Amino acid sequence: MSSQPTGGSRVSLKDVKKAFGSNVVLQGIDLEIPAGQFVSIVGKSGCGKSTLLRLMIGLDTVTSGVLDAPALKEQAARIVFQEPRLLPWASVKDNVAVGLGEGQSGQAADQQAAAILEEVGLKGREGLWPSQLSGGMRQRVALARALVSQPTLLALDEPLGALDALTRIDMQALLEGVWQDLGFTALMVTHDVGEAVALGDRVILIDHGQVVLDLAVDLPRPRKRGTPEFAALEGQILDKLFGDDPRAREAH
Amino acid sequence: MAVTASEGPFSRALPWLVPLALIILWQVSSSLGWLPPNILPAPTAVLEAAWTKLQDGSLIDNLGVSFARAMSGLIIGGAIGFSLGLLNGLSKTGEMLLDPTLQMIRNIPHLALIPLVIIWFGIGESARLFLVALGVFFPIYLNTLHGVRNVDPQLIEMGRIYGMNNRTLFLKVILPGALPSIFVGLRFALGVMWLTLIVAETIAANSGIGHMAMAAREFMQTDIVVLSIVIYAILGKLADSATRALERKFLAWNPAYAKV
Ligand SMILES: Nc1ncnc2c1ncn2[C@@H]1O[C@H](COP(=O)(O)OP(=O)(O)OP(=O)(O)O)[C@@H](O)[C@H]1O
Ligand SMILES: [Mg+2]
Repeated sequence: MSSQPTGGSRVSLKDVKKAFGSNVVLQGIDLEIPAGQFVSIVGKSGCGKSTLLRLMIGLDTVTSGVLDAPALKEQAARIVFQEPRLLPWASVKDNVAVGLGEGQSGQAADQQAAAILEEVGLKGREGLWPSQLSGGMRQRVALARALVSQPTLLALDEPLGALDALTRIDMQALLEGVWQDLGFTALMVTHDVGEAVALGDRVILIDHGQVVLDLAVDLPRPRKRGTPEFAALEGQILDKLFGDDPRAREAH
Repeated sequence: MAVTASEGPFSRALPWLVPLALIILWQVSSSLGWLPPNILPAPTAVLEAAWTKLQDGSLIDNLGVSFARAMSGLIIGGAIGFSLGLLNGLSKTGEMLLDPTLQMIRNIPHLALIPLVIIWFGIGESARLFLVALGVFFPIYLNTLHGVRNVDPQLIEMGRIYGMNNRTLFLKVILPGALPSIFVGLRFALGVMWLTLIVAETIAANSGIGHMAMAAREFMQTDIVVLSIVIYAILGKLADSATRALERKFLAWNPAYAKV
């Protein structure tokens, strides 16, 4: 048995501002994200990416402006962090069951957990402790936990940031596959511009709390890095990120 | 590491080698008369004493009494320490209200209270229970508090995001997270428990292993005195092994406690 498509839900922000005390972190954010889109969000450290993500899935409230996301009312928004945040004392299966929420147990719950574990390629590992898994597998468990309740909106805050380069490539393919299978709306923050272009239908660049670039990525999937089109898009984003400072670009 | 012990019967026998050699040396010294029995009786004499005391039933009786005292003190002091540790770990108000006082009292060695305790309770059972309970209270309290406070806040945030209510959050995240620390407290408490019991039974008791040793001292029965010491050692070891077994069961998820 495998997981059924869940579909996505839209998110719209109109003139959204977020401030912590006198520190204005985001302002004038206008975004229309259609259902099922994969949105990559990039920007320098501290520019407000995580804050934007937390707003969009209802972990924080806007200071002013309007945020409209049906998934929030249906409690169908989930988040995956950079750290898997698994319960070390719970098996893979029990960790995934956390995603089903209160009072959800029994056969139906078991089946849902088994299906989503198969979807993320962890069939047969249900009984292991997190300490017995590799970093990539732990993050897959976190992904399964987020997806088991069939959310229509999934936020990912640098989900692959702690993984080594080879595992990241694997996980990017996995993430793309799962998203294509299930159809949720994906909002992914990443500091890797290549990753943003490889996965996003659209790349949003945040700088000093504002959207300074909103770029559609119209390349067929799965995308090949190193093609001229891919490189051109990467270049466009890097230019905007670092201006024309060649040394900063070189370092990236 | 450069030094590796090879597997197999030899490496398993290795830890027993030195104790065995010491016992043989002790036996030989006694047999040759180098060690007079009024200083230290031979191991065989201690075994003989154990046999006699087993047959007249007094060993089992005293053992039972001591064991029951130890456990009651542990349960009373441990339960109070555990509850207060949880309370103060979970509630800021509780912590501000109680913790400074408890930290202050902690610096008094509980055995220093013996004269006062005898005045309060006489030399009856309650005096001994009070001392043991007080002794085990602090290690359990401190380590429970420490464990609860050091649960990974990211896991707590995760639990909240997934809609756990307070009860579930406590049972699934906070308590299991604090458990390794609570076990550390339990191990400390067991050490304090035996120590306190030995002192309490030696000073004032008319039953128990400590009393058996003190009664034997009056008649210079060194074999029974040594027997009592050995029994305390065995009890301590058993308590420690039981805790280890519990750790292996409840902390199996933690690579540090996994069976090697
Ligand atoms: N809960 C909070 N209270 C006060 N200030 C906050 C809070 N959360 C974020 N900030 C501030 O908002 C700004 C943006 O933080 P945010 O975490 O969104 O950045 P980021 O783009 O995700 O950075 P990074 O790439 O390093 O993760 C920072 O200046 C931070 O100090
Ligand atoms: Mg961030």
